[in-house]
Amino acid sequence: MKHIQNWNSYSKSLMLVVAASLLGEGVQRFLAPTNLVMLYLLVVVVSAIRWGRGPAVFASFMSVLAFDFLFVPPRLNFSVADSQYLLTFAGLLIVALVISALAARARDRALEANQREIQATLLYNLSRDLATALDLKAVLKILGDHAHHIVSTDVALFLPEDKGLKECYTSSGFLVGENEIAVATLAFQKNLPAGRGTETLPSSSAQYLPLKTTQGISGVLAYKFNDDLSKENERLLQALTNQAAVAIDRALLAEKAHQIELLKETEKLQKLLLNSVSHDLRTPLVSIKGALSSLLENDALDPETRRELLENAYEESDRLNQIVGNLLDMTRVETGTLKIVKKPCDLSDVIGVSLQQIPKERLGKHPIVIHIPPEFPEILMDLSLMVKTFMNILDNALKYSPADAAVEIKAEIVNDRAHIEFMDHGIGIPPKDLHRIFDKFFRSEHSHKVPGTGLGLAICKGVVEAHQGEIRVESRLNEGTRIVVSLPFPHIPEKGER
Amino acid sequence: MTKPDALRILIVDDEKSIRRFLKTTLHAQGFQVFEAATGQEALQNSVADHPDALILDLGLPDMDGIEVTREIRKRSQIPIVILSVREQEADKIAALDAGADDYLTKPFSSGELLARLRAVMRRLLPQEEAQVLKVGKLTADLSKRIICIKDQPVKLTPTEYDVLKVLVLNSGKVVTHRHLLQAVWNKTEDLEGVAHLLRVTMSNLRSKIETDPNRPFYILTEPGIGYRLRSEP
Repeated sequence: MKHIQNWNSYSKSLMLVVAASLLGEGVQRFLAPTNLVMLYLLVVVVSAIRWGRGPAVFASFMSVLAFDFLFVPPRLNFSVADSQYLLTFAGLLIVALVISALAARARDRALEANQREIQATLLYNLSRDLATALDLKAVLKILGDHAHHIVSTDVALFLPEDKGLKECYTSSGFLVGENEIAVATLAFQKNLPAGRGTETLPSSSAQYLPLKTTQGISGVLAYKFNDDLSKENERLLQALTNQAAVAIDRALLAEKAHQIELLKETEKLQKLLLNSVSHDLRTPLVSIKGALSSLLENDALDPETRRELLENAYEESDRLNQIVGNLLDMTRVETGTLKIVKKPCDLSDVIGVSLQQIPKERLGKHPIVIHIPPEFPEILMDLSLMVKTFMNILDNALKYSPADAAVEIKAEIVNDRAHIEFMDHGIGIPPKDLHRIFDKFFRSEHSHKVPGTGLGLAICKGVVEAHQGEIRVESRLNEGTRIVVSLPFPHIPEKGER
Repeated sequence: MTKPDALRILIVDDEKSIRRFLKTTLHAQGFQVFEAATGQEALQNSVADHPDALILDLGLPDMDGIEVTREIRKRSQIPIVILSVREQEADKIAALDAGADDYLTKPFSSGELLARLRAVMRRLLPQEEAQVLKVGKLTADLSKRIICIKDQPVKLTPTEYDVLKVLVLNSGKVVTHRHLLQAVWNKTEDLEGVAHLLRVTMSNLRSKIETDPNRPFYILTEPGIGYRLRSEP
């Protein structure tokens, strides 16, 4: 293609010489032959500006020949009658060559400037896009897309993993197999381009460019080799690899920083957990130990006091058991080791079991009002986990309500999902705390008179979400709280599907 | 304090403090108590000590309680009550399937422990009294096929009656889903596929005998395991 284009420019400059000659033929009656030289100089200037050095030099020589042949007497003959014309030829040639050189250089400069502008625009676009990238994945996508745009063939990006390289971005036509990884690894290890067009493994179909930073190599960019890739685009690609290396490094650093942040957050949580555990576990133990030691050391206690102390110790041991259970469950939710075995369950049975497992002294005199429509469809759930969830919700409803306030449980079908509502008439939750109520260890200031770990609702959320469900809270301060658990129904096989 | 004809209980648990608590509680109730701390000891002592019942922890250092149950069942039908923690659901079912009679989830009260022991040891008593059961307002007379609530006969379908009968015969004891599906529906495989029959029957049965079917008093659900008919008020 390049050659064809060159021949085109040469023939065009030749045509310009022909045109100048024809024009000269027309005006030679009015002008001295030496002045016709100007026409040819014009041709050389135009050729130089339009097509560069080669065509301009070519035009210079053609002009001298044409001038000699057509206008220098004897005409239509290369011989020269007046030897003064030799000076004219020399002058024409020298001026033409100098002009062509200057004009061509100017043209090159202009082209270069133009190219630089394109490059600058492209790199500007690239850095603008990179600035909006939030993570490594986005950075890789932007780099890949831009590289693809420059080389107009398929590209791939390789980044180092634990062992060796891994492709982290590929445009659709770039298939990565063992061979591709091998070439990329070579480029990475040698810190030199590899693949087609290089000295290392030139038989492969793509070229692999290491992405260098001052600290080292952050990855490898590969593109399906393209013979037509212009020098300018090659340069662009080079510029892109430099920027890519920096961008990838920055994204990796950001990711690392994020991990450290997470780790800090985890540490903070662990501290909270430790505080919570030491405080919450010790409180019931204090009561138990106190009560038992009184009994052990004091034989003179009247039966009523003895019973009071024993009941206190017994209730506190239940509380301790609940705290330990919640901590275990929370750990399972957190570490993802919560095993969920879902089976179809009868909702009223689940509610019944939950109520049955709440200690009698907690239930106290609270009326429990249950509205579950007859024939309510079965729900897929892990019975014991859902029992814990409902127990936690009910436990809250009971402990934050006045002693004789009713707790209502209602089930209905809303948008093909089971909605199970738990409504109390208790102290409620301040609006500012509502959004944090399912957070681990969060306890509203409003609730601080009532003991608790701040784990119950966090576990509920974990369990409900593991059931593809949702849990919501609505509350009015000093009026009551409503917790809604929404669960999907199982897919019921149509007749004949089994 | 222990009478010569007192019932003999073998406690198997590797935690000394738990053995101590069990021993004291059972001793006070007039049982003669023996101890074992490992599975091997349990297997030996279950022969040597001639126990009438076994309290067996699922998590033993040398072998698990399921295995111990299986070994003992090869030669003896003595009642076995499993001790487990809440998270061992699958193990509980495996132990019950292996022949254990009932289970207790740690921590438990001495009241629960004694109720379980009474229920599993009822098997050792003469059978005739098992035919009539009275709990609260429920009377079940299996010899006459009559179920009454507050002396009013309740009309049950044959399946509902069969389910209740199995529970009455095992009153106070846990009855697994598998057990019920086998005894009533004669199912031994694809239990998951027919489990809904049991749930529907149970729901209907409760609506007939329970005052508030949403908060059952007589038939209690043992989550993930089965059901239990209350045998004591």
